[in-house]
Amino acid sequence: MEFEEKYKWSFLNFAKWLIPLLLFCLSVSMILYTPYFQDKAYQVKSWFSSTSIYEGKSEDAIEKLLVRSRRNIQYNESKLENLKPVKPYIVVNTTENRFSLRNVNGDTIRTGICSTGKNEILIAGNKRIVFKTPKGIFTVRNKQQNRPWIKPDWAFIEDGLPIPSARSAERIDYSTLGDYAMEIGNGYMLHGTLYQRFLGLPVTHGCVRLGDKDLEVIYNTLSKGSKVYIY
Amino acid sequence: MKNKIAFWIITFGLTILILYISVITIIRPVFTTHALPKTTARIIEKIVKSGKDDIKKQEDEPMASKADTNGDSVHKLLEFKRKEILVRSRFLLASDDSMYLILDLINDLAILELKGISLHECPILHKEISNSIKSYSADALLSWSYEPFEMKTVDATIPKIIFIEKIAPKDTLEANKTVAEPKETKLGDVFIVMEFDRNLRLVISQSEKPDVEGEKIIGDLKRKYSKAEISRSIKGLLNFTRESVKPQIEIIIPKSDATILYKALPDNPRMILRM
Repeated sequence: MEFEEKYKWSFLNFAKWLIPLLLFCLSVSMILYTPYFQDKAYQVKSWFSSTSIYEGKSEDAIEKLLVRSRRNIQYNESKLENLKPVKPYIVVNTTENRFSLRNVNGDTIRTGICSTGKNEILIAGNKRIVFKTPKGIFTVRNKQQNRPWIKPDWAFIEDGLPIPSARSAERIDYSTLGDYAMEIGNGYMLHGTLYQRFLGLPVTHGCVRLGDKDLEVIYNTLSKGSKVYIY
Repeated sequence: MKNKIAFWIITFGLTILILYISVITIIRPVFTTHALPKTTARIIEKIVKSGKDDIKKQEDEPMASKADTNGDSVHKLLEFKRKEILVRSRFLLASDDSMYLILDLINDLAILELKGISLHECPILHKEISNSIKSYSADALLSWSYEPFEMKTVDATIPKIIFIEKIAPKDTLEANKTVAEPKETKLGDVFIVMEFDRNLRLVISQSEKPDVEGEKIIGDLKRKYSKAEISRSIKGLLNFTRESVKPQIEIIIPKSDATILYKALPDNPRMILRM
């Protein structure tokens, strides 16, 4: 009986400090496991390491590597140069609806606002027509002044009108595209607009609409084959 | 007396245990594994080989001017190597039709390029590079970033693109009813986590203070990553194996620029890291 009492007493004594100690150890271990400490340890590691593989190499060996490196730079730079446009080009930012017209050296000639795709899906029966401006690199394929717009089917669907035959005169619209239009492929164009107040907003069916003055400058600067970068 | 002895024995045992855990979790992974994966030796060889190949293609040139000391030459060589890797990577990616990102941590710029043409440039207002990257020598970093990085996964608080669905009107009357005056779209608050190959994580935050809703969305995304880190830690603790910490670069740029970059980049963009 006396022995049991003594045993109980000593267990309680143990538990009093053993449990907090175990909890303390567990939390220390958990803290050590956090990425913060491991990342800090890399800092310590750097005090003992990080010598360059080039250190200790002879001056001549380094000179040779320098020459090689310089040649590689020149070689790749010339290859990169070949990819650059040889004519003035335009860059269109679809997020901010802005454009930047640049010369062959990449210097900006003119910047301004434009309108790009409204990112809309028109559902007509089982058809889904997507209105968005494609991103990437395009080429001016054709330039035309006072170009009439041959309305595609979606223009009638969107207005709730019956779709006329392919050659119907109803499809021809002389005012929508403005004074100038530049085709960039797949039916997409850079052109003018009747809705100048919407410039700077995403409202188009995928083409890039420009203000009258900007359009004139762009039309006169870009030629067939000029690049159009859209992002 | 017995209690005292037991106390010291257990304390000593636990101290040993903590030291063991420290070794297993911090010292061993940090000092024995390479946080910037295994490419060093192979790639340095590659640099030299590519140099050899390119020499054959070109005419001889005058030797580079002699530097005063070995230290200067090494410094100069590293500068050249940095430029060489940048130009080489740019050419590699420019041969493709996709947009790519150049993260220039030397000039603090994030550049969106296509075919070698800079489409958009934005200043990096603040950057934080984890020690697991900073602690490596310049040439180890060069070999790590020798090839462009390819993004594997991305988590962002803003969508890449939002499409509004519209049912075609039955007649002109209905069409006129549905015509709405276009409005400027509100930019959502931006926080992006991009996981690249070679163990790299890029975090892009906006410099502007987010609104209440944005703060909640950003907080949720941050919590998601903290939870993943905690569960990884607990798993490691139970198995006594700790993976190496993820090298991370965090940049803070203006909200509009972050939105532009994120929306313009393709689904699996590639990135050139210059540091």
